[in-house]
Amino acid sequence: MSYLQDVFEYFDQLPLLIQIVWSVGFVLFQIILVLIIYLKILRTYLRRNEETVEKFQSEYEHLLINYLYTDSDSESSEQKEIINRLKVCVNNKFKRDIVVSILLKLRNEISGEMVDAIQKLYIDSGLVKYALIKLKSKNWYIVAKGIRELTQFKIKEAHDEVVIHLDHPKPEVSKEAQLYLISLFHFEELEYLKNVKSQLSEWDQIQLLEVLQKFDNQELPDITPLLMSENESVVSFALKLTKIYNLYDMKDELMILLTHESKEIRVQVIEILNHLYIIDAKSVLKTNFKNSSEDEQIAFINMLNNTFEVEDEPFLLENLHHTNFDIKLSVLKILKIINIDKFKSLKQKLTQPEFNQMIEFVENN
Amino acid sequence: MDSNTVKIIIEIIHYLFFIYAFGAVLSYIILSVISAVETISYMKKNSFVNYKEIMSSTISPSISIIAPAYNENLNIVENVRSLLSNHYVNYDVVIVNDGSKDDSLERLIKAYDLVKIDYLVNQKIQTKPLRAGVFKSTNPAFEKLIVVDKQNGGKADALNMGLNISKSKYVACIDVDCLLLEDSLQKLVKPFLEATDNKIIAAGGVIRIANSCIIKDGKLLDINFPKKIIEQAQILEYLRSFLLGRMAWSKLNGLLVISGAFGMFDKKVAIEVGGYDTNTVGEDMEIIVRMRRFMEEKKEKYRVAYIPDPLCWTEAPDSYKILISQRNRWTRGTIETLKKHKKLAFNPKYHNLGLLSYPYWLIFERFAPIFEVIGFIYFGILIALNQVKWDYTLAFFILAYLFAVLFTITAIFSEELTYHQYKKKGTGFKLILMSFLEPIVFHGFILYAAVKGNIDYFFNKKKKWGAMERKGLVKTESI
Amino acid sequence: MTKKKIVLAEDNSTLSLLLKFKLEKEGYQLFIAKDGKEAIELIEANEPQLILTDIMMPFISGLEVISHVRNKLNLEIPIVVFSAAGQEEMVLKAFNLGANDFMGKPFSPNELLIRVKRLLG
Repeated sequence: MSYLQDVFEYFDQLPLLIQIVWSVGFVLFQIILVLIIYLKILRTYLRRNEETVEKFQSEYEHLLINYLYTDSDSESSEQKEIINRLKVCVNNKFKRDIVVSILLKLRNEISGEMVDAIQKLYIDSGLVKYALIKLKSKNWYIVAKGIRELTQFKIKEAHDEVVIHLDHPKPEVSKEAQLYLISLFHFEELEYLKNVKSQLSEWDQIQLLEVLQKFDNQELPDITPLLMSENESVVSFALKLTKIYNLYDMKDELMILLTHESKEIRVQVIEILNHLYIIDAKSVLKTNFKNSSEDEQIAFINMLNNTFEVEDEPFLLENLHHTNFDIKLSVLKILKIINIDKFKSLKQKLTQPEFNQMIEFVENN
Repeated sequence: MDSNTVKIIIEIIHYLFFIYAFGAVLSYIILSVISAVETISYMKKNSFVNYKEIMSSTISPSISIIAPAYNENLNIVENVRSLLSNHYVNYDVVIVNDGSKDDSLERLIKAYDLVKIDYLVNQKIQTKPLRAGVFKSTNPAFEKLIVVDKQNGGKADALNMGLNISKSKYVACIDVDCLLLEDSLQKLVKPFLEATDNKIIAAGGVIRIANSCIIKDGKLLDINFPKKIIEQAQILEYLRSFLLGRMAWSKLNGLLVISGAFGMFDKKVAIEVGGYDTNTVGEDMEIIVRMRRFMEEKKEKYRVAYIPDPLCWTEAPDSYKILISQRNRWTRGTIETLKKHKKLAFNPKYHNLGLLSYPYWLIFERFAPIFEVIGFIYFGILIALNQVKWDYTLAFFILAYLFAVLFTITAIFSEELTYHQYKKKGTGFKLILMSFLEPIVFHGFILYAAVKGNIDYFFNKKKKWGAMERKGLVKTESI
Repeated sequence: MTKKKIVLAEDNSTLSLLLKFKLEKEGYQLFIAKDGKEAIELIEANEPQLILTDIMMPFISGLEVISHVRNKLNLEIPIVVFSAAGQEEMVLKAFNLGANDFMGKPFSPNELLIRVKRLLG
């Protein structure tokens, strides 16, 4: 007791600053103690969690496989029993997440009647109910997760509940809602792209494309309005569609886009003209060559690599002294193929050191 | 000088020290809070992402992994195999054998059925010339692999050769002995793909320490907490730096370093700025600062991104000798970089870069060890003159110590709540114990190395130029 | 008659389990590998009559498994590869290396069974 009193007396006579320092130190010490105890609890919890996850995972995996392989003609009593067991499990959020993850793991990799069986299980076990509850959550990421789950299990009935999230202030949520609509209600929904004001990131485009490519019906609607959109990212996306679906009909639009204000778009267009082998475009590109950016020039030379003709010779000779390494190399390569005599005579003439290596390389390859 | 003036000067010194310490503590608190907020939002955002889509999409951008190697014959075959099995479709692996004197190249040729191909290198960045040449595999299973054998020129030079050779949109520069997790490319490329209104010029992830972990055939099988104090302390250091510091700096768009052990770059920008600087020991920090400066001068909106996923595991030094020489190098790298780009300092033309990141690095990273040493010297003088107020000293020392411990424990917490990599029973206790021990038993070595780095930089001419001293490829991942 | 042996290399455990169940019901003996490395070990140890392998797997890819079987072990046993969308190029490479058939994911387990039956006669 007296010891404590001594401490307090000592403390009282200290200058104010030091009193504050000691007090802060004491508070820090207490925070540290609390954190240590909490850390212990947290670690124990996480460790146990992991063990149980593994246990349940293998249990539910077997349950699911049993369900899928009991006679699929009519709902057997064994299947009913499995559904009843799952119904109980999914009341618990922890177990529910495991069941959903297992269903999805299989759902994404297989097709055919087994998918219908998984879907039926998803609905019958009551999991869909919980996904719908997620849509009402105050946390945006839970809403987004819910929508994604409904998309993955193709629950068309949730249409009305999902649609209200199309204008969600968090772009992550509204994009999930868009993906839901496109996944389940198909190409018509591409219409919305006509009016999209915000830029679609590459990531958004990858996801959209992934959805489109999964459709059974690969009949694209007219994408002309998208190619002519004011939104650069929409144009870029439409160009990707043009390439992937080999839309030769878009030739006129592509030619118009060669004068698009964005350099990236122009380069992309040249790459697609190359991909679609639209050689009519060459003369325009040749005329514009001098005034275009280096990226466009490289894209065009790459196109020439695929589409060269004897008539290209004057253009190539004109650009023999281009400052860009790749362009120069391609010019020499093409010249060698279309006019070997000319190439040989150039070899005599071009004695600058920069050409030596290049000509030797082109000769041997 | 009369005693009054002396007193005033001493008072001013005291205040300066106090302000410095207070500023440091305050910055740590602010950075931790921003990190926490940012980490939580990252975890939420990625809780429903399906990475499979990036992995297999036909429109995913191309990536080249560039791995310089110098005398790595023991593990190179296995390491390359691990690089070849990353879960991403559109990528290749460029191994740059930087004039190794061992049989690395022969081993690679044998293991992967390599043959020499005719290859004309476009020297967009000047490098040392090729030695044996460029090799590719005849086996289609290894079609992603390109091996380049060149004359020795150091790590930066080898990376530059990789930049010249790569035909991809993005390059991932790594240390060849690093273990990349299979999903590392998909995760690290995502920030580049998500950006709409600004350009991502580089991205980095968390580097983890692989000491004592069980790695077999290029695969991380089991994560263990190492036994030696030196290794444990470095784990805490890395956790603090990666989980508390960098996340916040990326939010503020002020990251100055992407670890050289694993970082991804926009290749076009990296080449436009001239690639890695071969005249510094801190090339991984220097290139980021230069790329940022370039973007600022071009007045283009850009970001350096960072993600908290543990994507890359590397061996940390397990002896004090190696650790000290590593930190010595990092110190010199920082000094060289800051000096080379001193134009940025407090320059409003460079926005956050000039007004926030650069000054922070200068004051709280560059000068921290110097202030600390001056403080100790001053304290020594006071002791000698019997002028120490022990009340003050004890109270402040304990406060500083507790703060350091608290900061480390916060980092451990952040780790447990996010990735929880050290799962084994008993590790928690060791982590806590080490948080208390580290400031006492470990910090001294770091301080010593930093001071030695300063001394070497200013007085040891031989060491002044990195390229001369460094023939091999030392790991330079600054943290 | 002894059961015909099949090695299945696939890193999705649920799918592995499903296929194992399905094929064992049809009278085959299944060996399950989580990655390419395990697959090669199982192939060398058990001399299967058929190999089913995913293309993208940890550590050793499906392509390397095929290459190992055809070039290092010099075995002519049929190989079926699984691939996801966007991996068309990889499928071409797989055929170049000597794969006999491929299934694009997602696939129907029944269809796989038909192909397995056809290949094993």
